[in-house]
Amino acid sequence: MPLPRRQFLTQASAGLAGTLLAGLLGSVPGCAPARSAVQGRLHGAGHALGHLLRTPGKIPPPTRTESTDIVIIGGGVSGLAARRELHRLAPGQRTILFELEADTGGNAAAGHNDRTAYPWGAHYLPLPDERDTELLAFLQAADVLTGYDAATGRPIYNEAYLCHDPHERLLLHGHWQAGLVPDVGVPAADRLELECFLAEVEQLRRATGPDGRDLFRLPLALSSTDPVARQLDTETMAAWLARNGYRSEYLRWYLDYSYRDDFGVPAAQISAWAGLHYFAARKGRAHNAPSDAVLTWPAGNHFLAAALRQQGGPGEVRTEALVFGLRELPGGLVEVLAYDARTRQSTAIRARQVILATPWHVAKHLLPTTSPPLDLAPLHAPWLVANLTVADYPGGPGQPLCWDNVRYGSPALGYINAEHQALRGFEPDGPHSLTFYWALPTNPADPAAARRHALASSYADWRTLVLTELDLMHPGLAAQVTAADLWVWGHGMVAPTPGYVWGAARQRATQPWLGGRVHLAHTDFSGVSVFEEAFYQGRRAAQAALVATPVA
Amino acid sequence: MGEESVLTRRRRARAVQLAHASAADAPRPALLLGSVAVIATCGLLYELIAGTLASYLLGDSVTQFSTVIGVYLFSMGVGSWLSRYLGGPLLRWFIRLEILVGLVGGASAPLLFGLFAHVGSFRVLLYGLVGLLGTLVGLEIPLLLRILQGRLAFKELVARVFTFDYVGSLLAAVIFPLVLVPRLGLVRTALLFGALNVVVAGVSLLSFAETRPYRRRYLVLIAGALLALGAGVVGAERIQRYAEGEVFQDTVIYAQSTPYQRLVLTGNHRGELRLFLNGNLQFSSADEYRYHEALVHPAMQDRLLAHRILVLGGGDGLAVREILRYPQVQQICLVDLDPAMTKLFRSNQLLRRLNQNSLHSPKLEIHNADAYAWLRQDTARYDVVFVDFPDPGNYSIGKLYSTAFYRTLRQRLRPGGLVVVQATSPYVARRAYWCVVHTLQASEFTTVPYHAYVPSFGEWGYVLAQAQPGSWRPDGVALPHNLRFVTPAVVGQLRAFPPDMSEVPTEINQLNNQALVRYFEEEWGPYGQ
Repeated sequence: MPLPRRQFLTQASAGLAGTLLAGLLGSVPGCAPARSAVQGRLHGAGHALGHLLRTPGKIPPPTRTESTDIVIIGGGVSGLAARRELHRLAPGQRTILFELEADTGGNAAAGHNDRTAYPWGAHYLPLPDERDTELLAFLQAADVLTGYDAATGRPIYNEAYLCHDPHERLLLHGHWQAGLVPDVGVPAADRLELECFLAEVEQLRRATGPDGRDLFRLPLALSSTDPVARQLDTETMAAWLARNGYRSEYLRWYLDYSYRDDFGVPAAQISAWAGLHYFAARKGRAHNAPSDAVLTWPAGNHFLAAALRQQGGPGEVRTEALVFGLRELPGGLVEVLAYDARTRQSTAIRARQVILATPWHVAKHLLPTTSPPLDLAPLHAPWLVANLTVADYPGGPGQPLCWDNVRYGSPALGYINAEHQALRGFEPDGPHSLTFYWALPTNPADPAAARRHALASSYADWRTLVLTELDLMHPGLAAQVTAADLWVWGHGMVAPTPGYVWGAARQRATQPWLGGRVHLAHTDFSGVSVFEEAFYQGRRAAQAALVATPVA
Repeated sequence: MGEESVLTRRRRARAVQLAHASAADAPRPALLLGSVAVIATCGLLYELIAGTLASYLLGDSVTQFSTVIGVYLFSMGVGSWLSRYLGGPLLRWFIRLEILVGLVGGASAPLLFGLFAHVGSFRVLLYGLVGLLGTLVGLEIPLLLRILQGRLAFKELVARVFTFDYVGSLLAAVIFPLVLVPRLGLVRTALLFGALNVVVAGVSLLSFAETRPYRRRYLVLIAGALLALGAGVVGAERIQRYAEGEVFQDTVIYAQSTPYQRLVLTGNHRGELRLFLNGNLQFSSADEYRYHEALVHPAMQDRLLAHRILVLGGGDGLAVREILRYPQVQQICLVDLDPAMTKLFRSNQLLRRLNQNSLHSPKLEIHNADAYAWLRQDTARYDVVFVDFPDPGNYSIGKLYSTAFYRTLRQRLRPGGLVVVQATSPYVARRAYWCVVHTLQASEFTTVPYHAYVPSFGEWGYVLAQAQPGSWRPDGVALPHNLRFVTPAVVGQLRAFPPDMSEVPTEINQLNNQALVRYFEEEWGPYGQ
């Protein structure tokens, strides 16, 4: 039953979805939102189990004791990359990986409907830097990279996994244009600014510092230590833009869109270093694709997470398990206390080394307090991901359906056609699976408020929000939605706020803990949450663990 | 053609009926004589519709017209004979008869079109319907003569009835080709004149006092009949709508929207069938042999040991027909997306005649699946693969022309195996054609580009691709002798490209650039495809 608009807004505004909806509706008077016929579920990371960490007293004490060589806590990309690196360098080491969720993969989660897999989180990998040889070796073992061209030496990628054409479209001035950089109907002055900006970052992409290193590089730890460049980490990207005379609304929108897509927050909330790094660190090349190509899969990066796990050897993986204690034991051991949500029992595992591959808000509960206290407060925006089944083809004037479909000026991030990479010669008019992304606005002064606010919204609130956005992209299409499954990430990914990446706190956190036996591995300790960083974090921690305990 | 002689023969037939007419019992001769003109028009129209339809669907118009008219007139004679068994209130018989003629005549064209694709023997249906209609129409005039016989002197009766009869026939013969076929089409014409017969029944019912006892009941019947014919018009609109937006030169004789595409079959008086998929011509029965011989024989002509063949697309069975000419072929696997397509070409008599029943060959296996998806799970290996997909007019079909697809295909070939790809027109879409050639080369095939002239299509391009270079020889050792287009000498000529279609540099078509779809759009765009 559709509610009268005013009544609906009053009811929904208890949660974040209602607040956002009010904003959306402000621009479209008379839009009636509620569609209760659409069925689906509200998913989310297992915060109930995770939040037990705040009240460890409620967790039963261990009843058994085991031992192993290395424990990995966290089965996201960092933890899986660490496990793979351990297996590669020291296949004889016994490992156990603990994961809170029912499946490994972390933010690289995926779902299935009766037609296709679809992503619930991270969903693509830009062509990686050719110098990142271990990443390329991983991709080659996963059949993503099929070989190297004999003449140029450039990698050849599996065509099926390169994002198929057509890639992206933008709904601008009521027309779908090809590509996301605003172009059609954009005034000459704005166009010039866009070109200037892109030319400037292109120059930075090629630039090296006085130390001979690239000014911007992925993994970011390999970037130049040039103090002039690092000075950029102290101001916001928005301030840098203003200082450099970039005022075009089209450019600002494009940048905000890009940063929200990767970091969850706009230019005003990230450092200028991170904002430039976003563009200038992309250096991948391929024999069979242009350098701006991306790799993607119907299940998104869950494909990569599954390959990482598969290449990680026979070591045990325990899911739905919460690690709630870490303790140094005499004799060079660490005791890991883990609670199994299925058996409701706890176990103590004695290990020689531990890789703690969780975000900081989990890790800090497991690590001893330091003096002076570690001033690390990564900002994580909450995210909404929605998978919709629509009965009709999402067309519209201009460019046909692409992989990535974005509305100019929208507070959301648009949608991905989950079946874009399907290897088939026929595209049915019938049902399509669309995955919507929405980085929810967050106040850096009180990020917990946005999270609480987000978790207070109901399934119906979120559904209404997503369907309203869909109607703005494709008038009438919301009525064709037959299923809507939603996922609210309380903690999305880390935002590289000013001072975060090159601040002292992050550097300190990456030092070994508990007598050099616990090593942190997570993109929270990079400041940029992308696959390459997670891969690097995992490898770095694995190597540190092996150095600390040389292979027997 | 035979229409003048038809009228003469018909006149003779009716003169015989006349001798049997006698006695009187009905009023209002003017009204009934008016009805004669109307029913005569209707009667001749049904005959013309059936004859035209038969020549569209079966071809050979002289034979079709001649046999349809013969059966129709003979059945009229049967009807005249049977009229003697009708007794009692004759006006009531007449009203019943008009309703029945209206329904059967009105339904004749939609029924013949609608069942064309679904019946095993179309001729049985055609002549059955023509016979039934002729019999009913044959009853009309004797019955009217008997109704009128008391009202007029015999010489007046005969003179007037036949004058109106022939006036009506002339009217029908003139408006049918000049107005009805071009404006309304066969289906709507039949329905309209069926309704006229029913209206005659209605007018007779309301004009004569003696019908009072059963008037109400018959009015309901008449209303029902008109409603049914009206529903037929709506149905005909739907068939007509398939043709909307595309101009088919010929009459649409079959149209079906499947979940995958829109199938339209057209026919003309030359007996030429054309198949359109989504409005694009797939073949014309007049020259498809050129297209399919050129597709199949250049690859097969040196394959004395080709046992296992794969055909992708080509659900019409026409390529399979050519492949079956080679006795060494033991197994053919056909993969076509649309089950409606293979079903139509397996079941319809005309289309089975065209593909020489190839889809019923015991050597053939049919899979209705997406070729790309099917190929990825297939494990067999083939000596020759024929790729006969629609042109790369959209991004989905473009995937079936990509290096990724050709590499998958390559893995399904036996050592020394061949692939042949239909590759659009090198004359109209020169870059698109050479893009297919270069894409096959990039997929590690050695290519032999060639083209053939197919009048319906113009210059058409193919690419023969060898997994191992030098494994193909144009020596024609295996070539069948009874072909109409391909000979060893022609295989040599097909490979020559004049300057206006010669090789141009292009990109390679990959999933991540879809270069081919862009070339195809640019080059075919001006042709409004």
